[in-house]
Amino acid sequence: MTTPLNYSYYPGCSLHASAGEYDLSTRELFKALKIGLTEVPDWFCCGATPAHNVDELLSLSLCAKNLELAEQVEGDLAVACAACFSRLKTAQHVLGESPVKRKQVEKALDAPLHLDGNVKHLLDILARDLGLERLAAAVNKPLTGLKVACYYGCLLTRPTDVTNLDCVEAPTIMERVIESAGATTVAWTHRLECCGANFTLSRPGVVIQLANAILDSAKAAGADCIMVGCPLCHGNLDIRQKEIEGVYNVEYNLPVFYLTQLVGLAVGLGPDKLGLDAMIVNPMPLLKEKNLS
Amino acid sequence: MSRIGVFICHCGENISRTVDVERVAREVGLLPGVAFSTDYKYMCSDPGQNLLKKAIQEQKLSHVVVAACSPRMHERTFRKAVEAAGLNPFLCEMANIREHCSWVHENKEEATVKAVEIVGMMVERVKKNRVLPTITVPVTKRSLVIGGGIAGIQAALDIADAGHEVILVEREPSIGGHMAQLSETFPTLDCSQCIMTPKMVDVANHPKIRLYTYSEIELVEGYIGNFQVTIRKKARSVDEDKCTGCGVCMEKCPIRKIPNKFDCNLGMRPAIYVPFPQAVPNTPVIDRENCTKFKTGKCGLCQKVCGPGAVDYEQEDRLIVEPVGAIVVATGFDLYNITEKPKGSMIKGYGEFGHGKIPDVIDGMTFERLASASGPTGGKILRPSDGKEPKQIVFIQCIGSRAREKGISYCSKVCCMYTAKHTMLYHHKVHDGQAYVFFMDARTPGKAYDEFWRRSIEEEEAVYIRGMVSRLYQKGDKIVVMGSDIAVGVQVEIEADMVVLATAVQPQAGADALAQKLGISYDKYNFYSEAHAKLRPVECATAGIYLAGACQGPKDIPDTVSQASAAAAKVMTLFAKDKLEREPIVARVREAGCVGCFACKKVCAYGAVEEKEIRDRQGNLIKVVAYVNPGVCGGCGTCQATCPSKCVELDGYTDEQIVAMIEAL
Repeated sequence: MTTPLNYSYYPGCSLHASAGEYDLSTRELFKALKIGLTEVPDWFCCGATPAHNVDELLSLSLCAKNLELAEQVEGDLAVACAACFSRLKTAQHVLGESPVKRKQVEKALDAPLHLDGNVKHLLDILARDLGLERLAAAVNKPLTGLKVACYYGCLLTRPTDVTNLDCVEAPTIMERVIESAGATTVAWTHRLECCGANFTLSRPGVVIQLANAILDSAKAAGADCIMVGCPLCHGNLDIRQKEIEGVYNVEYNLPVFYLTQLVGLAVGLGPDKLGLDAMIVNPMPLLKEKNLS
Repeated sequence: MSRIGVFICHCGENISRTVDVERVAREVGLLPGVAFSTDYKYMCSDPGQNLLKKAIQEQKLSHVVVAACSPRMHERTFRKAVEAAGLNPFLCEMANIREHCSWVHENKEEATVKAVEIVGMMVERVKKNRVLPTITVPVTKRSLVIGGGIAGIQAALDIADAGHEVILVEREPSIGGHMAQLSETFPTLDCSQCIMTPKMVDVANHPKIRLYTYSEIELVEGYIGNFQVTIRKKARSVDEDKCTGCGVCMEKCPIRKIPNKFDCNLGMRPAIYVPFPQAVPNTPVIDRENCTKFKTGKCGLCQKVCGPGAVDYEQEDRLIVEPVGAIVVATGFDLYNITEKPKGSMIKGYGEFGHGKIPDVIDGMTFERLASASGPTGGKILRPSDGKEPKQIVFIQCIGSRAREKGISYCSKVCCMYTAKHTMLYHHKVHDGQAYVFFMDARTPGKAYDEFWRRSIEEEEAVYIRGMVSRLYQKGDKIVVMGSDIAVGVQVEIEADMVVLATAVQPQAGADALAQKLGISYDKYNFYSEAHAKLRPVECATAGIYLAGACQGPKDIPDTVSQASAAAAKVMTLFAKDKLEREPIVARVREAGCVGCFACKKVCAYGAVEEKEIRDRQGNLIKVVAYVNPGVCGGCGTCQATCPSKCVELDGYTDEQIVAMIEAL
């Protein structure tokens, strides 16, 4: 009998908005895997990119307060969004290294800091805490024949000494997780390239160029679909895909799944519990073709 | 009763500005044992020294204290003067009232009081100094040179030309080292082989040089002037005396597809081989791991075809002991293999550059072999993957070097120049090709070096892009190089046919193990440490061992040859006398009290502590005690600080003297 896994859960703003399906599939997957997930009470925005661009103290304080709130719930903190993960980890790292900044933030929050709790990305929980063997054992409908391009983006692995998720130059954690679910992964060149992130609003031209390179590379490697762990990457690859196809006069038709959606499929969850209808590039024809729906 | 003379120096105004030297002389003159004390403007000058000599004779002085600058500055000067006056030089001590007093204080009253105390301490110390005889050590006038690259070859030839015997030991089957692999050399573009191979032949033919190739250092014992070196001569499986170098064995060997290390694995060689046609000695060696005869017992073709009957499968490793007086270490460098992260190393790999995965991403040495007339392509620049001529080639500098976050913070020094050379060689051979270079800075300090680099841009049309490359990836048969041009502030992507990485220069594998055998120190990268970065750059801290070439730090050929000749000159200086004289400030063991714990032996950086048996008159062993070999002792005093029973002491720095100094305060 293994000890039950329980986590506090920080969904972050995106998962309550454009990435609702990431939130839904995370909760459903964890329920199916019998992993406890309790939402941090009264959590708020981690500050994302704007906060640390404007004011480091603000960014650190927002994260520190959220970390303090997370202490109220038992278990390590589970984070789905790559940006929230990066900000919370960075705050832990910076405040741990700099007594001066720590003092400033303590003054701003008027409370001592709690930085010792573990912040974990969902990938870490699936690959290490649950373990690949137990994950494989929970698979009811293996993703046999599905060729997945695992896309890491920028923030999951970088900077390496802050996130400590996997090797920064050649990570394999996504591949290991989805291979445990029975899928085949492809070797491709743009796993770690930037998608343009939030330039999607201010300079969409940049994003279209960068996202096109990623889609092109995944297609060239023979992938059926892309798997991501970041709402912003998802937006740029999925929502912008039609537009990119128009600009470059190509056809990709690559569904972009959250990792929880694909693992959820393998565990046997239905499309309604994984929010597959929220995906812009319709995955259903592909899943039908591979006998996965 | 001592009759101590104290001489206070003004050092111009350096001391007298802050210290009342006349008062110091007056007050010190009253100390017990001081028979004479005076002050003078420049004690180190000729009249100052004469004053000292005269006083010794007239006042019949027994000891001397000179209160002046640091002993590092003028101790030798004054001890010589004392010796000239007929006193043992080690009865003279210096009290440092300049660096330790006048230069660091402002208040004259306080500084004067301190100066009196410093001199008073030295008066107490010198009282207990012993008359020390100069130590002499015999010298074996033969030298060992480890490493047969250009550094070792140059050092060996210089020493041998001076008439001294040289033992040259090389790990590989041939001498020549990396220089023999190079195509042309900067900044003159003369062919490396053309200037290297004659020197190799000179080594082979020199009557004073004994060459051991395919051999390694097994053990080093002894000390300066008197080393005993054990050399392991690995089994070559070919008798060097019988072999004529005809090469029939290599032609007939049925195993032909072994990657040749000399050609950076681009070319193939048989199982019985010489690394390259110009090898010295031109005697093949059997690679036993790949030879059918050694693997299965069958074949034996090379023995059958060998006319002189030189092939000998029964040959075994031999251990040879050679006595030598000096050792030159010239083990050279190797290029950082970025393909994988070395185990247990602080160096992190370079996965992002695809070296080892993308066949047309090669390192600088591989490019040298491609460009070399005697290389696997006969000097044509061709891609290893498909043999096509690359029309776009990208060179990336500083791979590993100057990258603290990757584990190496130093500059490899030669890469800027050899990359400039590579762009030229490429342009000479592929007229319609374009070379790009990603670089951080161009470091070209050297005679005619910057001109050479400018030429690669201005005349040979290389495009230099200031910025680094983030990663490479294969796209079809092209390699996409993603980098930044920081001069313009834009991202750059180049679709290249071939990429050449200027990987960092590192010490040879096993450099640390050899250093431990020799008892010499090395830095965190395993480069050997010189005794002084500026003033003793070719000597090790360990007496009698000298450094030449890139084993001490990244170096180009001119610097290597200069250092090799300098090391040779140091060896000749050592051999110029029949006996070595050295300062007798060494540790001595009080054998009656020594319990033989050998804590001193463990801490001795010089390997000077030996074990000595004490026997009674019947020859029965009473105990084993420590013995400090005065020829090896460096006089550092670490043993004295370590000895739990206080039975080893450094002359001039005994516990008794230190206590006396403290009591004088």
